[in-house]
Amino acid sequence: MKKINIRFKVNGRQADLNIAPNKRLLDVLRDDLGLTGTKEGCDIGECGACTVVLNGRAVHSCLILAAQANGAEIITVEGLTQNGELHPLQKNFLEHGAVQCGFCIPGMLLSSYALLKENPHPREDDIKEAIAGNLCRCTGYKQIIQAVEAAANENNE
Amino acid sequence: MRYFDYIQPENIKQASESAGRDWRKALLYAGGTDLLGLIKNEVESPAALINLKAIPGLNGIEYSEREGLTIGALVKLSQLSAHEVVREKYSVLEQALKETASPQLRNMGTIGGNLCQRPRCWYFRGDFHCLRKGGDICYAVDGENKYHCVIGGGPCFIVHPSDPAVALLTLDAGVTIASAKGTKRVALKDFFVLPEDDIYRENILQPGEIVTHIHVPPVSEKTVSGYIKFRERGAWDFAVVSVAATLRINGDTIIDGKAAFGGVAPKPWQEEKINQKLKGLSVKPGNFESLSAEVLKEAEPLNQNAFKLPLVRNLLKRLLVQLTAS
Amino acid sequence: MADSKIIKSKYFFEEDFTEELAEVSANKYADWNKKELKVVGKPVSRVDGYDKVSGSAVFTFDVILPNMAHAKTLRCPHPHAKIKRINTKKAEKIPGVLGILTYENAPKISWYGKSFLFDPHLRYEGDEVAFVAAENERIAEQALKLIEVDYEILPFVTDAAEAMKKDAPKLYDDGNIRGGKPSVYERGDIDKGFEEASAVAEQTYKTQVEIHNPTEPHCSVVNWDGDYLTIWDSTQGVFSVRDRVADVLKLPASRVRVIKKYMGGAFGAKLEAGKYTVMAALLARKIGRPVRIALDRREMNLSVGNRPDSVQKLKGGATKDGRLTALYQYSYGAAGAHPAGAGCSWALRTMYLCPNVKTEEYTVYINAGRARPFRAPGHVQGFFALEALIDELAEKIGMDPLEFRIKNHTDRDQVFDAPYTSKLLLDAYRVAAEAIGWKNRPQPAGSDAGPLKRGIGMSSQIWWGGGGPPAYATLKLNRDGSVRIIAGSQDIGTGTYTILAQVASEVLEIPMEKVEVLLGDTAVAPYCGSSGGSTTAPSVSPAVRDAAEQMKAKLLSGAAAHLNVSESQLVYRNGVIHTKGKNKKSMTIREIARKMGERVLVTTGKREANPDGYAINSFGVQFAEVEVDTETGKVSVKKIVAAYDIGRVLNPKTLENQIHGGIIQGLGFALFEERIIDRNTGKVLTTNLHDYKLPTVKDTPQIDIRIVSKGDSKISNTGVKGVGEPAMIPTPAAIGNAVYNAIGKRIKSLPITPDKVLTALQS
Repeated sequence: MKKINIRFKVNGRQADLNIAPNKRLLDVLRDDLGLTGTKEGCDIGECGACTVVLNGRAVHSCLILAAQANGAEIITVEGLTQNGELHPLQKNFLEHGAVQCGFCIPGMLLSSYALLKENPHPREDDIKEAIAGNLCRCTGYKQIIQAVEAAANENNE
Repeated sequence: MRYFDYIQPENIKQASESAGRDWRKALLYAGGTDLLGLIKNEVESPAALINLKAIPGLNGIEYSEREGLTIGALVKLSQLSAHEVVREKYSVLEQALKETASPQLRNMGTIGGNLCQRPRCWYFRGDFHCLRKGGDICYAVDGENKYHCVIGGGPCFIVHPSDPAVALLTLDAGVTIASAKGTKRVALKDFFVLPEDDIYRENILQPGEIVTHIHVPPVSEKTVSGYIKFRERGAWDFAVVSVAATLRINGDTIIDGKAAFGGVAPKPWQEEKINQKLKGLSVKPGNFESLSAEVLKEAEPLNQNAFKLPLVRNLLKRLLVQLTAS
Repeated sequence: MADSKIIKSKYFFEEDFTEELAEVSANKYADWNKKELKVVGKPVSRVDGYDKVSGSAVFTFDVILPNMAHAKTLRCPHPHAKIKRINTKKAEKIPGVLGILTYENAPKISWYGKSFLFDPHLRYEGDEVAFVAAENERIAEQALKLIEVDYEILPFVTDAAEAMKKDAPKLYDDGNIRGGKPSVYERGDIDKGFEEASAVAEQTYKTQVEIHNPTEPHCSVVNWDGDYLTIWDSTQGVFSVRDRVADVLKLPASRVRVIKKYMGGAFGAKLEAGKYTVMAALLARKIGRPVRIALDRREMNLSVGNRPDSVQKLKGGATKDGRLTALYQYSYGAAGAHPAGAGCSWALRTMYLCPNVKTEEYTVYINAGRARPFRAPGHVQGFFALEALIDELAEKIGMDPLEFRIKNHTDRDQVFDAPYTSKLLLDAYRVAAEAIGWKNRPQPAGSDAGPLKRGIGMSSQIWWGGGGPPAYATLKLNRDGSVRIIAGSQDIGTGTYTILAQVASEVLEIPMEKVEVLLGDTAVAPYCGSSGGSTTAPSVSPAVRDAAEQMKAKLLSGAAAHLNVSESQLVYRNGVIHTKGKNKKSMTIREIARKMGERVLVTTGKREANPDGYAINSFGVQFAEVEVDTETGKVSVKKIVAAYDIGRVLNPKTLENQIHGGIIQGLGFALFEERIIDRNTGKVLTTNLHDYKLPTVKDTPQIDIRIVSKGDSKISNTGVKGVGEPAMIPTPAAIGNAVYNAIGKRIKSLPITPDKVLTALQS
């Protein structure tokens, strides 16, 4: 088995790795880089817990071989907080009670983050569409939608 | 996931040679959304993956009034549905793309990969050595077959999972297939195969052949098109059934039209008879009702999926009414 | 101060009564007046919110220990088999494989009563065959494939009705019916009751197997320090895991520490110790390294519990004027391959006033994963059937279904013949009926024009959820006046950290920021029960209040000593103690704490006893408005109005979470979720989250919550009843009745999928 060299940016920092080709981006983030904020819930792109933003778009890190992320810019939940300040999305998730067990939340945040980057004025339907690939078994979703709306409003002020 | 080599060809020829040399052992890797799932579920156990990403020319979307749309096979679904021309002229395709899977998967999955994805049958994906995986029986025939095909099946009863393929059929799309030997262009309706023709594949691709482009002819200004996908929950389901239609309308008459159906057959399904009847049909609900009643006349549902027939007929009627409403 | 006694405590937990000796507080505190409360009852944000939104929350799934090995489980691919021969030699030779356990080399540990940790008799697809630890998961997975198992394939049965037949393949020597006979309940005389009835409805309803599918997989990380075992576990009950593991490994409880800080959901599936935890502990000891085991989604759908299915034959009788005269239930449900509860008759026994009731229930073994408690076990199934029957009876006698329910309201528990501590269901009916527009529902059923037909339906709800002792909480005041609460409960995502901090903050009148809560650690925390049965808030919050009130008394006593005044001259306000009258002297908590020293400032609060002679139950109602597309059969839930009597609300924000979440789970059960087993092979087909369909954000209705209750001071010093389970109980029934109201056809089996609706519409 030949290992391969990959290089990408995670949360603004360069990562250079020599990895087995069958490693997924999720494995590299969690195991090699210690970024355990990104969760694994289903392994085949059906729950969204592993969502990260790759080159500006929300993707499942469980369905991308790390090698495919070569050269990419990746944002994980750990990268949303800047200088100890929570991102408006994080703040609003907290304040609107969008969090229960919290396991799906990193994925929800990253899907919402990608949405707001592309569409700073989302309607409720846009928000629902953006997180349609993120399953939450606890909350019932409503507070999550409200939190994203509030964060968008805050951004737009 | 078991180990595999990671091959990074720089052009189609290299990719085709790598893939053709080692049939079933080396698999093409585009978006990976289906492939990694297949590997995880042990449907596929490749010795090598061939990454198509570095091959130039597969990422573009081009449009000309003469040629219509030319879509590189590696164009992501979300990229394609956001394309201005697609939104303006090819509603049926835009809608089908937007209804596919989830946002994350649309950001990763490619249009070429979508057309070439493997079926979602739970026996095929599950721990069953079924016909399509080289076994002796189709477990769906006498098993849990609510989601299986009602027409075109046998000896295997999968449905084809692609949404865009159904839309593209109504647009008379074609694909370019390349290999080390050269390229050829094939109409999309001739691209997919039924189990009776080949139980192990869902399309005509031979080892070493790669879909490089999808071609969608131009549409006239009087064309309307749309796609209705029916799924049980609000998001992230493959179609229970889906209906696509592209119609050219003049006044109260459909000059020309095509309909296609997903979730009913092992390939995206079209019925020539229905398309013929659409031609010259005057826009009246009663006409749509009787036309829809003609759909899937030859269907032979399995014991749990007869509901797909009224469903698909009602949806066709609904779509025709919607498309001709204005 | 700190008065306590030991009593025999009995209360309902999930499927049965718990009875144990408990030390209870005898301290009496003034009822909280809602208007005076500053923190309790307020929409305080979660104290664990920062960790969870920043990604810094370490779930059990994220625990990494130095030199940690990773484990995987080989599971039986057949629904019923025996291991004839097993050979692990090839697997052992893979570089990186550290150890393998099978029934041949593992200790024979009793499990599920008649089975073992590793049992060569494999009773379902997913039963444990071998357990491998390796350097990483990928190697462990490779090793699983190289373990050679020679199975003797046995005949199987995966349907409860089939399993009850005499000639069915047997899972156990003494047959497939648990206990060999039905569980029977009877009051009054149902024959007489049916004779008195002027209308009788008789119907069979079915509910499917539902899988918990929490987002965080079941997982454990285990580590031995010599003979001391530490387990990080994704569990609802650290003490229940500790006890089980200590028992089977024959360790003193003092040498087993179970820790759970954050957990990604459970819903009942993580109430008990997992086999995988014990296997990991055995292997970790053998290889001398920590071991992590995390199940994957397929295993989650096969092996770690489900809501059992049910077939319920119900018969009800009523008089013309709407009085229930008799209710009868014959039902059976599949426990799976091992003992578990599959009953569902409490709804029928307790909800409505009815003098003549009989229930006969069978719990049946089949070759499929074993059931576990799932959010309101029995009730969710039972209410779907009962409430449909009630609607059918109401229709037969030509009475408004709501009026019929009101006519059969009872203020007494009829099983135990005791009054309820409180029951405000009539208020709940009133506000919810108005909010949904009950009067404007289509009448008769199915009369809406279509093709999109609107309908409204309702369901009542009863649940226990009063909690009870034993539950303890230790409170430590730090030298700067900040506080730590330590309790052996656990926050499973519901907000326990937050509500307990609120209670201490309220009593001690200090800001939330000064209260920290430590839960889920058997080594340091006093005992609390498992987090299930909607008992956590009602059991633990009074213990925290007791601890905080004791601390307050202690501070007053300390201040009195220091200021040389009697305690009666002192007033405690906003964390400051003043003398009364002129020449006020005062001390802050911080100042007293400095003087007294932390050694003195520890109190332990206890949940008081539940009141004698009363039944404690929560009540509620949900009204559902649906739209049925008669051309596709698709049911869309537009709106749910939920009105509850759940005692005091500690935190409306976490309450809203719980109710919304329960409703969405109920909606999933009503419309989408179902474990499907292939009839011919006995293998499960729904092993991923595409085929097993959880509701998505696009399936969410509008939700309107009305709380009609205040604190119930008869129960406890906080007056709380639990809401976790009540939130889900009425949803499927209300949706089912709404679908009937919309289309005039009753779908008698869940889930209500488009194929069933289309078929019903065509009949």
